[in-house]
Amino acid sequence: MEVYITSTGNHLPGPAINNDQIEKVLGLINGKPSRLKHKILQSNGIKTRHYAINEQHQTTISNSAMASLAGNECIENSSVAKNTIQMLSCATSQGDLVLPGFGSMVQAELDLSGVELHSSHGICSSSMMALKAAFTSIKAGCNNNALVIASELSSRLFKHTRYEALEQQEVDFNAEFLRWMLSDGAGALMLEDTPATSGTSLRIDWVKSYSHADVYPTCMSVGTPKQAGGKTWQDYPTYGDAEKDGALLLRQDVRLLDNIINVGVQGYLKVLDEQQLSANSIDHVLCHYSSKYFKSKIFELLNMANCMIPEDRWYTNLYERGNTGCASIFIMLDEFLKTQTYKAGDTIFCMVPESGRFNCAYMHLTVVEK
Amino acid sequence: MEQHVLTPNGQTCLQKLLKVWFEFDLALSKVGIIKRLEQGKLSQADYQKLLLNLRQQVIEGSRWITRCASSFDRDHSDIRSSVIHHAKDEHKDYLMLERDYVSAGGHLEDIQTAEKNIGSEALHGFLMYRASQPNPTDLIGAMWIVEGLGNKMAAKWASLVDEQFGVEPSMTTFMKYHGENDEHHLEELYQLIDRVATNEHVIAKIEKTAKVVARLYSLQLEEVDNV
Repeated sequence: MEVYITSTGNHLPGPAINNDQIEKVLGLINGKPSRLKHKILQSNGIKTRHYAINEQHQTTISNSAMASLAGNECIENSSVAKNTIQMLSCATSQGDLVLPGFGSMVQAELDLSGVELHSSHGICSSSMMALKAAFTSIKAGCNNNALVIASELSSRLFKHTRYEALEQQEVDFNAEFLRWMLSDGAGALMLEDTPATSGTSLRIDWVKSYSHADVYPTCMSVGTPKQAGGKTWQDYPTYGDAEKDGALLLRQDVRLLDNIINVGVQGYLKVLDEQQLSANSIDHVLCHYSSKYFKSKIFELLNMANCMIPEDRWYTNLYERGNTGCASIFIMLDEFLKTQTYKAGDTIFCMVPESGRFNCAYMHLTVVEK
Repeated sequence: MEQHVLTPNGQTCLQKLLKVWFEFDLALSKVGIIKRLEQGKLSQADYQKLLLNLRQQVIEGSRWITRCASSFDRDHSDIRSSVIHHAKDEHKDYLMLERDYVSAGGHLEDIQTAEKNIGSEALHGFLMYRASQPNPTDLIGAMWIVEGLGNKMAAKWASLVDEQFGVEPSMTTFMKYHGENDEHHLEELYQLIDRVATNEHVIAKIEKTAKVVARLYSLQLEEVDNV
């Protein structure tokens, strides 16, 4: 059984926010402009992004509603009638509710009936895991189609008031780092067991991921304070105490971050080997790197290994749409299909190296025209 | 970045070696003493233990490399020259390591009289055996692992140790020096890869030797307490 991506959609909330406007939306921590902001933005290269909160810190659209808008756009672009969707597979790093699963909330927003449901929980690669669940379900003949949606609303974590809630400590670099990296958005893909009746489809040749949680400590997390010692947000007497101790801030252990380059390239070499693939045979690369800094490091290693895919085949919309975590790869694929040139038979290689606890996902697609 | 390896076979070989290196890098991060080092939980006694166990490999390293040089016949004399040069550069590095050991609070006599652990025995046994075979071109794979490690020691481990213990006189001169030199050695290694990786059979042997050495090197660090 073959599986095809027959339609895509996205939703980016509100207007594009440029670098000078970020602190107007997220606010100044203790009334002072950030000293790190410029340095981090220069390194990641992001020029504009979107937020689902306004300057008053009100949420303008929920995570599940964003997911639903992207899903609806994807359905409208497809020839699948809403009432014939058999599976819904959703991913996010943080739903609107702690429980139930994100997929349930998105299903209700979309008003889909009787679907088989899957929620994928994790950071950037959770979208690829949601996609893999849908892909294997169709492949196994359990479903004929599946709607896959990834959505992120991380800006709620970055309000200045969250940092100001800290008691007896300064905001550390690791807690502030991602404030200048992440933003909001949703992307959706329709998967079917036959190509679309007209236009372009993408055949999913394979999806493969390698996780290295056994090797490295946690690199990106919410739920543990700066000096963790095994303590999590649920181990405090009250949630208020957890917040005062900084256990609810989104943190990135930047010293561990460089490991993502090695494991990302290692996985790439492994899939080249396992899938009998050569770098020359790849026509387009969509890689979810979080910053320009990583792009150059990845290129350096690929050049060294002599398996670099020429730079003009790499596509990204990171600098204009921002880093939307797990939604990035879907938003990127959607915009690639709508704005770039490609032809039947072209191959597309997608790569999502995740720094959460070092999970790297890869996907190979072939353009099919009808 | 410069293209180091130019022949198509050399490129294939380099790609395979890089893959072995990444796998070794991951395996190494799981070894107890290295895990503690990389996660900032190394004690000073641990660091002494690490140096003490590395010394065996450094001393034996120059021995197997010179043995390897002597096993190349006249048709491979250019390789012999390169390998001799490499061995000469490194054969007294262990003196630096001993000084670091003393700076870290160890007694010179202890490191000089220490027994090889069982992993070191296996590693050196294998390397000396391979180095004694005629024209042991597969040892390029071993050199790749050892040089790569030098690079890692300088770039990552030395700064981690400095961060944790940062004392004067420095306890990391060996790691830093080794790393700086290894960059130059890596350049030579790229040329050797081009020279010897001429067919699939040789490439497979180089890859296998790199894998064996990577595994035995990890074993040497897994067995730091097992003499």
